[in-house]
Amino acid sequence: MPQMGVSVAEGTIVEWRKRPGDWVEADETVCVATTDKVDVEIPSPASGRLARVLAEEGETVDVGAPLAELDPGARPGEAHPEEHDEGGAATEADREPELERPPAAAEVADGGEVDRSRFYSPVVRRIADKHGIDLELVPGTGIGGRVRKRDLLAYIESGDPAPAKAPSKQLHTESPYIPEGELAASKREPMTLMRKRIAEHMTASRQTSAHCTTIVEADLSRVVAARATLKEEMARREVSLTYLAFVAEATVAELQRHPILNASIEGDEIVYHDDVNLGIAVALEQGLIVPVIKRAQRLSLEGLAAEIGRLAERARAGRLDPDDVHGGTFTITNPGQFGAVLATPIINQPQVAILDLEAVVKRPVVVEGEDGDSIAIRPITYLCMSWDHRALDGAVAARFLAAVKDRLEGWEAR
Amino acid sequence: MAELTYLEAISDGLRQEMRRDESVFCLGEDIGAFGGAFKVTDGFVEEFGADRVLDTPLAENLIVGASIGAAIEGMKPVAEMQFADFISCGFDQLVNVAAKLHYRQGVAVPMVVRLPSGGGFSGGPFHSQNPEAWFLQAPGLKVVAPASAEDAKGLLVSAIRDPNPVCYLEHKGLYRHVKGEVPEGDFEVALGEARIAREGEEMTVIAYGSAVQMALDAAEELDESIEVVDLRTLCPLDTEAILATARKTGKVLVAHEATQSCGVGAEVASVISEHAFEDLDAPVRRLTTPDVPIPFSPPLEQAVLPQPDQIKEACRELLAY
Repeated sequence: MPQMGVSVAEGTIVEWRKRPGDWVEADETVCVATTDKVDVEIPSPASGRLARVLAEEGETVDVGAPLAELDPGARPGEAHPEEHDEGGAATEADREPELERPPAAAEVADGGEVDRSRFYSPVVRRIADKHGIDLELVPGTGIGGRVRKRDLLAYIESGDPAPAKAPSKQLHTESPYIPEGELAASKREPMTLMRKRIAEHMTASRQTSAHCTTIVEADLSRVVAARATLKEEMARREVSLTYLAFVAEATVAELQRHPILNASIEGDEIVYHDDVNLGIAVALEQGLIVPVIKRAQRLSLEGLAAEIGRLAERARAGRLDPDDVHGGTFTITNPGQFGAVLATPIINQPQVAILDLEAVVKRPVVVEGEDGDSIAIRPITYLCMSWDHRALDGAVAARFLAAVKDRLEGWEAR
Repeated sequence: MAELTYLEAISDGLRQEMRRDESVFCLGEDIGAFGGAFKVTDGFVEEFGADRVLDTPLAENLIVGASIGAAIEGMKPVAEMQFADFISCGFDQLVNVAAKLHYRQGVAVPMVVRLPSGGGFSGGPFHSQNPEAWFLQAPGLKVVAPASAEDAKGLLVSAIRDPNPVCYLEHKGLYRHVKGEVPEGDFEVALGEARIAREGEEMTVIAYGSAVQMALDAAEELDESIEVVDLRTLCPLDTEAILATARKTGKVLVAHEATQSCGVGAEVASVISEHAFEDLDAPVRRLTTPDVPIPFSPPLEQAVLPQPDQIKEACRELLAY
């Protein structure tokens, strides 16, 4: 398992692109590993034949631990040397096992039976499609738990859906309340790895932090005006200036003045961070990822806008580096665009707060002027922040939010 | 019906055709007075005379060439190679002349080349080969390889009556070891038709020649629902039967004594993957002799030729897959 980022200690195998017996060129991808959230293609360090896979799909491996054995002495198309070691003359059965080995899942670490429980042969897929059967529910009795044609036919004949296989890892999210039988005919599909990770992280966060949410209203008139002025100029430099960038700028500035919000809890200690590493939640087709702007305090409004744009684009393209998602000290989430106005986000551990920016909506508001009060139409948004009551109290959270609000409402070009 | 050995069935078919049709004659090395190296034509010279049972010089090129000439002139020669291995000396006549004449000049070449093939008796590299795949690369030839006494007769009769040059592979190991009921008198087995030697549901062994009996024994001993298909004709290949059984069982082992690369097993596996992929429940497997010359040493020869236990083991693995 290569060192995929300075802070990465382990990786989980998502899929093997090569099977034992396959020829692999140097730098060719042999497998895909995921760190917390980012998938990384692992290249082969040399050319050779993949002799043995030591970590199966789904297995988590420490950085530096071996993933597979490569036989660099082999040549493409040449028989595997081990095949000739076992007996006198080569019999057909020994001779070309790699050619006859079925396309199956990776081997388990101890070199035991290949897990084929998720490999479905063409005929099995076809019959399952025809009968609308979820193969996950069919007990497999073939080698490595494979669902054989006869297993499937027997299953169809029995007309009796078997219980689903227990997931390999029990998540906190598993509900104990599924009524027996009632949901049997519903569709089931395995969670994607990202879904599982989100489920684990969110549930763990809820169980770790004492969540509270504080909400302030902010008048973004000056931000709207500033954006109108700056937008085109930045666009010429290919920077998209969003409201999020303004909020990020104000947040970063105030985090430096309210260090308890740029902190994390470790055991009985509170750790204050010098740098503001600002996480920006980015929605993906099938999930969510939080790339981090490192040392965001160095960046101007335009710098932040550019960095947000760059990371979001890389996130959507699936091209984030593992380091891009690590080391965050505070997170902003901005589901925006669908018009929701309030939310109570879940803290991104081990941080102590998360700020939610929802829609900017024009509202009638009371404006206090020298001539008395009047009603005006103003672009309003709600800044919703969930914070950890273990680290701070409501007054601190409110003071911080008020400072961010003031900064936005009194926006001056900086 | 009479119970005949595989060898007797070949003799019976040949004798019957020579009696029926005066244009049928045979030629080869020591087939007359000596009755043939394996005694297939024992007593033939006495019955049919030296004009119809020709002893030739040790020159396979001549044997095949003379056969072609006779065939063009309306005769139906049945040439014997003393060992199938020696056909290489007559190869040009066979693949370039006999196989192509009809295509080039519209001339039929109704002849049969009998090829005693196969190992298992310490014959070494020159007397043990199974060269059928060579001929599958020469369009214009038909190739048959009977596994039973009944087919040995029926296929030989059909081969003699066919207007094309036919390579008739007779496995030496089956000559005296295989026997069975063989219809008496006029009896044909159509070229190009495989035979289901044993019905089954769970998997299929597709075999021909010496591997058929091994497959049948394996199926019996395992007591599983294993289908055994005997190809009987290798060209034209009965792809319909191959695909039907592949679609039925979804698991196929192809077994033959010939070497593996580009062999009949490769062709069968390819046909299946091309046309029955969606019916497969397992990879198509091959059990063959590895790509090596056949050793003289009995233990080494045993180690390279497919053995009954290996077929059983391969069946077990496919069934379990």
